[in-house]
Amino acid sequence: MSLAVPVEKKKTVAQGERHAGSVRRLKGVRARLNGTARRPAIAPERILKTGNSEEPMTPAAPAAAGEKAPNLGDKRQVSFAQVLVFELRVRDAMTSPPITATAADSLRSIQHLMKAHRISGVPILADDVLVGIVSIEDIINALDGGHINDPVEPWMSRKIVTLRDHFSLVRAVAEFDRHGYGRFPVLDTNNRLVGIITRGDITVCLMHHLERRAEEAMAKEAVLVATRAADEKAHRTVINTDVKSGDFESAGKLSQRMREVLRSRGIAPDVLRRAAIIAYEAETNIIIHSLGGRITTSIDAHKVRIKAVDSGPGIENIDLAMQEGWSTAGPLARELGFGAGMGLPNIKRCADEFAIQSELGSGTRLQATVFLRKAGVTL
Amino acid sequence: MKLKSATKLPSILSVVEASPLTDLTEVELTGCYISDLLSDVLANAQPGVLWVTIHIHRNVLSVASMKDIAAVLFTCGRKPEAAIVAEAVEKGIMLLSTPFSTYEAAGKLWKAGLR
Repeated sequence: MSLAVPVEKKKTVAQGERHAGSVRRLKGVRARLNGTARRPAIAPERILKTGNSEEPMTPAAPAAAGEKAPNLGDKRQVSFAQVLVFELRVRDAMTSPPITATAADSLRSIQHLMKAHRISGVPILADDVLVGIVSIEDIINALDGGHINDPVEPWMSRKIVTLRDHFSLVRAVAEFDRHGYGRFPVLDTNNRLVGIITRGDITVCLMHHLERRAEEAMAKEAVLVATRAADEKAHRTVINTDVKSGDFESAGKLSQRMREVLRSRGIAPDVLRRAAIIAYEAETNIIIHSLGGRITTSIDAHKVRIKAVDSGPGIENIDLAMQEGWSTAGPLARELGFGAGMGLPNIKRCADEFAIQSELGSGTRLQATVFLRKAGVTL
Repeated sequence: MKLKSATKLPSILSVVEASPLTDLTEVELTGCYISDLLSDVLANAQPGVLWVTIHIHRNVLSVASMKDIAAVLFTCGRKPEAAIVAEAVEKGIMLLSTPFSTYEAAGKLWKAGLR
């Protein structure tokens, strides 16, 4: 009886598991994420053996630790919760700092600790190093065996499976499934005990983050609605168009849409034409010369503002580019009637306000404004 | 008056022996513009003109519609594909095709009084 034989920890969930329902849900999430119900488990770290071993696992390279990132390429919808279990780390969910005891403390004092803090496992430290753990099962055994007043030392479990604080929650869930423990002590990269984590902690953490994301989404939506209302009040219409390099077939689509809006507002044809030419030239410039870009056309009661931003390669000499007849257009563009070297001068001529910035290697930003006047109104 | 009628669209047909690619409505042309550079047309063509070009690409339609050009005359017997003709109909731009070169067509149109 007095012979100290460490109790071998059984695979059990008797250690105060209180969130079975949510855990089942998390399991389901994991199974769906993996596309399989089970997969080879990750080797647990055994603190007493591994010492300083550090698995190469960073958020940037989850594959290195055997995690399967959600395949966003396929048509399956990836839910928020699924993204979260990959994004969130053990350190986000763990209880920190943990309630600990020393090997000299009595099992009775551990029992009191558990009762006072409503916890079901206490890590045992010796000089800040994790040497064991006492679970509620050990306490029950002690009460049953009559050694509840003994010091912790001979009775604590020494084979401790730990998690690292940087592990993802999806990996933590996998470890819970694999070992059946109710909790894991959590170590940082210096093997210092920094927390303790239960399945319940994971659920609470997920719920908390889901709620926060939902709130953020709702706030964003509210801003969007407010912007839209303000736009409506100012008769503002914004047309965003991505323009692809070399896509001559689509040239003119943006200016066509813009013209429709302006025409429906009874804008004078000559003003409308100037705006349309700017949009068209900006569009074809991106198609012919750039690697692709985006045009934002913003129309309100008083003006049209056309912003064209491309992602390079940029204009080497803007003064030359602004000179009529100077062009760097390729043979295909020229064959189609582009490359007259008149695009930018045309834009400038049609605009009431005009600005262009360009940097070789980064791209070109062009902004042109046309002040609106309704048909039949002379200035 | 002879000159006057020559500036109306359907009567232009016979001047350059053009075949209509779309239905033609009777329209008074404000003049004529000849260029194969789209930006040049955008910059300098007046609304309501006949545009003479060798380009049969759909960008011609974008430019024509932007400048409210009444009709486009393709030279050297060139004809755009059916989809482009359909788009022109949709945009209300009339299309014609002449077997003559741009230079010959220009001479005939000028002579007929389209100025």
